[in-house]
Formats: sequence, C-alpha cells, structure tokens
Amino acid sequence: MTWAIRKIHIYAGLLTFAQLMIYGIAGVVAALYPGGERPKVPQSVRYVPFTVPPSSTDKEVAALAFTTLNLPMARPVPDWYLRHTADNHLLLDFYNVNGIRRVVVLEKEGRLRLEEIHNSLGLFLEDIHAATPGDAGAPRLVHLWACWNEFAMWTLLSFCVSGLWLWLAARPSYAWAWALLAGGSACIAVLWSVFR
Amino acid sequence: MIQYPSLRTIHLLCGVFAAPALLLYGISAVQMAHNKWFTMKPSVTEIQLPMRPGLTDGRQMAQEVMGGRGIRGDITSVRKTPAGLEARVTVPGTVHEIRYESVTGQVAVKTSVAGFMGMLNRLHHAAGLSHEYVPLRLWGVLAALVSLAILGLGATGIWMWWLRKQERRWGLILLTANLMYALTLLVMMRAAGP
Repeated sequence: MTWAIRKIHIYAGLLTFAQLMIYGIAGVVAALYPGGERPKVPQSVRYVPFTVPPSSTDKEVAALAFTTLNLPMARPVPDWYLRHTADNHLLLDFYNVNGIRRVVVLEKEGRLRLEEIHNSLGLFLEDIHAATPGDAGAPRLVHLWACWNEFAMWTLLSFCVSGLWLWLAARPSYAWAWALLAGGSACIAVLWSVFR
Repeated sequence: MIQYPSLRTIHLLCGVFAAPALLLYGISAVQMAHNKWFTMKPSVTEIQLPMRPGLTDGRQMAQEVMGGRGIRGDITSVRKTPAGLEARVTVPGTVHEIRYESVTGQVAVKTSVAGFMGMLNRLHHAAGLSHEYVPLRLWGVLAALVSLAILGLGATGIWMWWLRKQERRWGLILLTANLMYALTLLVMMRAAGP
C-alpha cells in the first residue's frame, strides 16, 4: 500500500510540477504585491481609425470596438463595466492575464486610443494560478491552462493525504515533524479565531 | 552535495508545516472552481448608532465607530457621499460597511459575516505584509512562509526523484510532458500581450 502511494505521490508531483511551483511563486508575489496594487501607467499608446455609427449606444460601440480591434486573449467588456473618461469619452478596459488594453473611443477624431498596461511576470503567474475551467468565457489558451490547473488543484489536495500517510508510515515518531505540524495548525487556528 | 536522507527530512518538514494551509488553499480553490457546489450566502446584520454630526474625515469617523463597537480590521476604503461619508472595514470573512450622515450624525453599520467556505475563500485571498491590522499582517507572513515551503517541496521533491533511480524513466516522461505543456502555454499566453 505504502509502496503504491509513494509511486502515485512521486508521479503526480512530476505531472503537476510546473503548476505547483507557480502556486508557490503566486503566494510569494501576493505577499510582495498586496491586492489591488497593479500597474496603472501605459507602456505604449497607439491609435486605430474607428467610426462610431450614428445613434449607436455605448454597448453597441463597445461591441464594435471589440470586433474591430480583435485583440488577442480579450473578451467583451461587460455592460456594467462601460465607463467614461472625464472628457466623456467611452472607456473600455480589456483585461487579461498580461495586463490591460485600455481603449478610449475618440468619436469626434474618428479613432480609438489604445493604451497597453503591462503586468510583470510575477503578476502574470499570480493571475494564471487562479485559472479555472469553469470560466466559460476564458480565452482558449487560458482554458487549456485551466484544465491542467484543475488537475493540479486536486493533486495538491491529495498530496496532503498521501504526504501525511508516507510520513506516518516511515517516521511516525519524528518529533520535529509533529512540532511543525502542530505549529502550522496552531497558526491557522489562532488567526482564524482572531478574525472571527 | 545534500544526501537523500537530508532531502527527505527537509521535504517532510516543509510538507508538515504547510499541510494545514495547503488543505485550506486546496479546499478554497475547489470552492472557487466549483462555486455552484457550495452555499456562500453571508449572514447580514445592520445596526444604527448615534454620533456627533459634522465629521468630515472618513478615516477618523471609521476609527471612532470601530473603537466604540469593538470592530477590528483594515479600513479598505473611505469615500465622501452626498449625505456624508462611507467606509468599509474588512477582516477575512467579515465586512463592515459604515455609512455616516453628516447633518444628523447618524451611523449605520452593515455587517456581512461569511460562513465556513466563505471564510476559507477570504483567507485564500488574504495576503501581503502591509496591512494596518496586525493579525492580517501575520497571516501574510504565514502565507509567504507556506509559499516558500511549496517551493521547497518542489525543489527537494524533484531532487529526491532524480536520486531515486527506479522512477526515473517514467518520471522523466511525466515531467517532460508537464513542462512542455506548461511552458508552451505560458509562452503563448505571455506573447499575446499587452
């Protein structure tokens, strides 16, 4: 039994190695970049010719800008997220795991201003660690990643069981292991009770 | 060169320290990936409080309410409204929304408390070392240590596998498959910009 669990533990770890390392990196990145602190300054700006059809609504303009630009790994801006700049130009933020493509519809000038805000590699890995196949509108590449990510998620949970089994089967009286397990558990229990 | 028994000890110690947190992260990841499996409705209560009128500093107003009601947490947002001020105070699993009317001094505190799965979800997202509220900062330290332990588990795990010759052939096939799939997708996603 232990022999089989060890084999599964090793092979499952190798089969999900990249994802598990990304989970670790994502945690370190989250510690260094607290939530919300994302780049806001565009690295590049370019203009694309664009004509707003007469009498069209913001929703229609957003849909037209989306199809005109055909940005990679973008999805349509939801209706509730249609905003305007201080100058009352329609503002469209196309988010993906690499950052934001911010589009300002300059109706009178007959063009779109496209600003690109780039996430660092760390933020990219932090975002990608959360990809899930349940996100129906995700771009194909993200969905393909998410499928393996889902497998890695279940594998991570199974490691908690198989790892404990292997420890108890091999070195059940190792005091330092018990101490660290108690320490890790106590930290969570104490902080949980403080937050509640 | 570190020998196999030392690697196994490091792997074990990283694993047992991180195991409770990994269980928490794993279960909350399942909740986020399969939201429909779980009921996440928080319990909501609202109370009214009298306060002196005319306050103009949202942070000060929030701190006074927190002090008076024993509310703990980070003040995550403060804003002015036509009627007065609004502030939001959060700890993992609990959100207090404070509305203050400048003319009357009336305060309404709406508190949403998440259930067990909601608490796991919020703890999964709680990170960072720059929180005002000290227990949240300690949680950030714990999350960072667990993240380092995961990296330690990966490094020692792969090293041990390489030293164990009996799983090398199949292991190499599985590891290569994983790395090729992952790196190809990561590069393609990254190349898509911005």
